[in-house]
Amino acid sequence: MNIKELLKTVDKGWVQKPKGFRVCYQKRVNDEFMTEYMPNEKDNPLDSDIVAWRSAWKLHQATLTDGPEIAEDELVNIYVIDDTGKRIKYYATDLFEVYNPYP
Amino acid sequence: MLDQTIKEFMETKEFITLYGRQTVQALFILIIGLLAIPYIKKGIKYVLARFGVKQSISATIANVIGILLLLFTILVATKQAGMDNSNVIMVLKGIALVAIALIFIFRPYLPTLPFKVGNTIKTGNLLGKVEATTVLNTRMKTFDGKTVFIPNRLILNDYLINYQYTPTRRVKIDVSIRYDQDLMKAKQVLEAIMIRDPRVRVAPRPVVYVLNLKNGCIELGGRCWVNNVKYWVCKCELLEKTKLGFDHEGIIFARPQLDVYQHDEPDSWDGIEEGQALSEKGEIGIS
Repeated sequence: MNIKELLKTVDKGWVQKPKGFRVCYQKRVNDEFMTEYMPNEKDNPLDSDIVAWRSAWKLHQATLTDGPEIAEDELVNIYVIDDTGKRIKYYATDLFEVYNPYP
Repeated sequence: MLDQTIKEFMETKEFITLYGRQTVQALFILIIGLLAIPYIKKGIKYVLARFGVKQSISATIANVIGILLLLFTILVATKQAGMDNSNVIMVLKGIALVAIALIFIFRPYLPTLPFKVGNTIKTGNLLGKVEATTVLNTRMKTFDGKTVFIPNRLILNDYLINYQYTPTRRVKIDVSIRYDQDLMKAKQVLEAIMIRDPRVRVAPRPVVYVLNLKNGCIELGGRCWVNNVKYWVCKCELLEKTKLGFDHEGIIFARPQLDVYQHDEPDSWDGIEEGQALSEKGEIGIS
């Protein structure tokens, strides 16, 4: 194994570098939950997971309602995904966080 | 005397009757042209910016169009005033040819500013973004919103850092951990944080060095490369993630510390010499 092969193996098997991040959330529309993304899938993803998680938290805070029922504009299951659609861990806790989880 | 005055008045009246209307029209065209040109230049810059043209290129295009419009206005105004334009055109042609020839001949010898409009530079104590350059000065906007006009001669005579001369910059993440912490784990965490960030370039690869062992701490230095535009935000975010990552892994940062040892006061204290002697013996110490 030469150095190039070593680096290739390390890149493939060790820490992965995502190309970007999106906030994923569900919205209630006509009694059905639709999954949406911020930014949209056709737009470029965010290049910072910090910005993505902060946006997720702000979305959660801005749409949270007090009632027991999920309101029409309330967003549920807010989390951050990478460019491949895989959930990523919250950088502060190293856990898979979800804001406003709804079964 | 009176005859002379009346004669002059009549001549003036005749001139105004013959050319007054044309002169006023010519002046009107000139004034309107001079007032409109800056707005047209601004409009061109705005439209080009909308199409994604670089600020420096759009400024040059707008300036060239501005000069052409100015010449056109002067020509129209002089024609309206009844003047013979052919002489004016000849003079303008001559000036243009001489200017072009001079530029071609002396271009290699002309001092040029080592930056372009839109670059982030530091000259003297000033750090900011170049907004415009003229023959005499450079207009720069600092990051706290001040607009500074710097004479070009000062820039040319002083050192200057152009942060966008090269497309990438190295980010330094220097942190210190205590001696009793897991050094290898700390290196791994720091390296992984840098690799995981999409803005950090793949090559040159991020690396972590042990920079120093002193003052009761291990100084670690993370080094990675990012695009110039993303430098500052990326550095701040990597620092944030480093702090949280180390906290999560239970790696404790070193704090500046000073250990002071107190010993019993000696029976006699005869001055500095004795104090020095005690210090040399190690009985009084500060570390």
